[in-house]
Amino acid sequence: MSYVYAVSRLRGMENHLLDTAFFSRLMDSAGIDDALKALGETSYSQWISGNANFDKAIDSEMFATFEELKSFVPDKELLDILRLPYDFHNVKVLLKGLFKVRGGEAEGRRYDLLSKLGTIDTEELMNAIETEEYGFLPYGLTDLIPACWQLWDQTKNAQAVELLIDHQMFKAMLKVAEDLKMPDVIRWVQNKIDAENLRSAVRLARMKYDSAKAISFFHEGGTIRPDDMAKLLNEPQETWARLLSYTDIGSVLGALQDQNDINAALTEVTKAIDEYLMKVLENAKYSMDAPANVLLYLLNKEAEARNMRVALVCVAGGLDREFGRRLLSNGR
Amino acid sequence: MLGLSLALFGAALAAALAGIGSAIGIGVAGGAAAGVMTEDPNKFGSCLILQALPGTQGIYGLLIAFFVLNKLGLLGGAGAVALDWNQGLQILASCLPIAVVGWYSAIWQGKTSAASIQMISKKPEAMGKAIILPAMVETYAVLALLTSILMLMGVQVG
Repeated sequence: MSYVYAVSRLRGMENHLLDTAFFSRLMDSAGIDDALKALGETSYSQWISGNANFDKAIDSEMFATFEELKSFVPDKELLDILRLPYDFHNVKVLLKGLFKVRGGEAEGRRYDLLSKLGTIDTEELMNAIETEEYGFLPYGLTDLIPACWQLWDQTKNAQAVELLIDHQMFKAMLKVAEDLKMPDVIRWVQNKIDAENLRSAVRLARMKYDSAKAISFFHEGGTIRPDDMAKLLNEPQETWARLLSYTDIGSVLGALQDQNDINAALTEVTKAIDEYLMKVLENAKYSMDAPANVLLYLLNKEAEARNMRVALVCVAGGLDREFGRRLLSNGR
Repeated sequence: MLGLSLALFGAALAAALAGIGSAIGIGVAGGAAAGVMTEDPNKFGSCLILQALPGTQGIYGLLIAFFVLNKLGLLGGAGAVALDWNQGLQILASCLPIAVVGWYSAIWQGKTSAASIQMISKKPEAMGKAIILPAMVETYAVLALLTSILMLMGVQVG
């Protein structure tokens, strides 16, 4: 099938995406029962009926979306770019579980945290990691998992292991994008790496982390070099926008300039980054056959799922609705 | 005989190239229409109109081919007129505007139609605007058709 067909179908599917006005109304629900009733008119209703676990329902909707797109998008690898993080999340969950088991915690395994949204079947991944047969695993996992074990044996530092997994994830994302030879998609992955590095920089600044030690937290492959990112930590946060003004992502830092409190800034920057990553792909909207439209649709769908989770958690937990509204992303 | 062959070659080019362009254009627009209708089958009517637009170039090519065949006396059973190579070449040249412009414009009109189909998928109320955009491409196919007709009318045969 061609991208003309795929993009046209996505244009039709975009009409069914839920907008922020819907989530705002959802937030006004008196209780979870009312909220679930409001979901009755949406595509989520097929998963939510008789299933009080809305987290699972949201995952089922995302899984169905990935499967539907797989049936008509010409390059399935394009979907893999957004599914890879789920695979690497599953690797983290499985390894951390085994670290705990080896440390004597018999109940350390948390299979309930595994996501079915990845490209590798969770059962197969589980078996591969449990039996230490990594040979068939893609995306460099064959070498990564033994390296994680080695690092764990040497340091017992779960955060260092997570970082190693994240480095490989972004490397794999970039490799998939480069193999697709789609300039817009490669640029998006590079921007995604920049965005993730920027998020880490804000977190590290909050912890007053030393820039010399921070370099290992930043991933390679973005448009901004890791050492340039690390240098930001030596500078006051209000100057970051000026320092990164030569980059595309510099615009996101407006959120930092307006915030004196770096804790509040993290929430704003995270939101601004998510919106920036969609903006990067916006030119694709004006093309009838640009493959980047597939990523754009999926990002909108992920934003919808995120908003759904925020709204339902707020309603079910009786949390402050105004705070919840601030967390909603403007996906659509 | 060379004159007749050149003239027939011109007629064949007009019908074939413009027809190929239309087939490609309709194919591209059809792909877009299928995508939109998968999500909303009610848009069949609007999609069909937009998909049909790139088909006109094929008709223009056929029209010129008939025009040439008529001029050559090949329609109606009266027998072919005598043509020298120079007259044959003139007829071939007359067929080129619709052959080449028809071919290219149909493909680009198909792409514009596909974009318009995507537009009505999101904004069905903009159907009028959606038709005008690919119709702008049509202008140049019509100009090429007129050029071919005027040139053919200027060629003296028989």
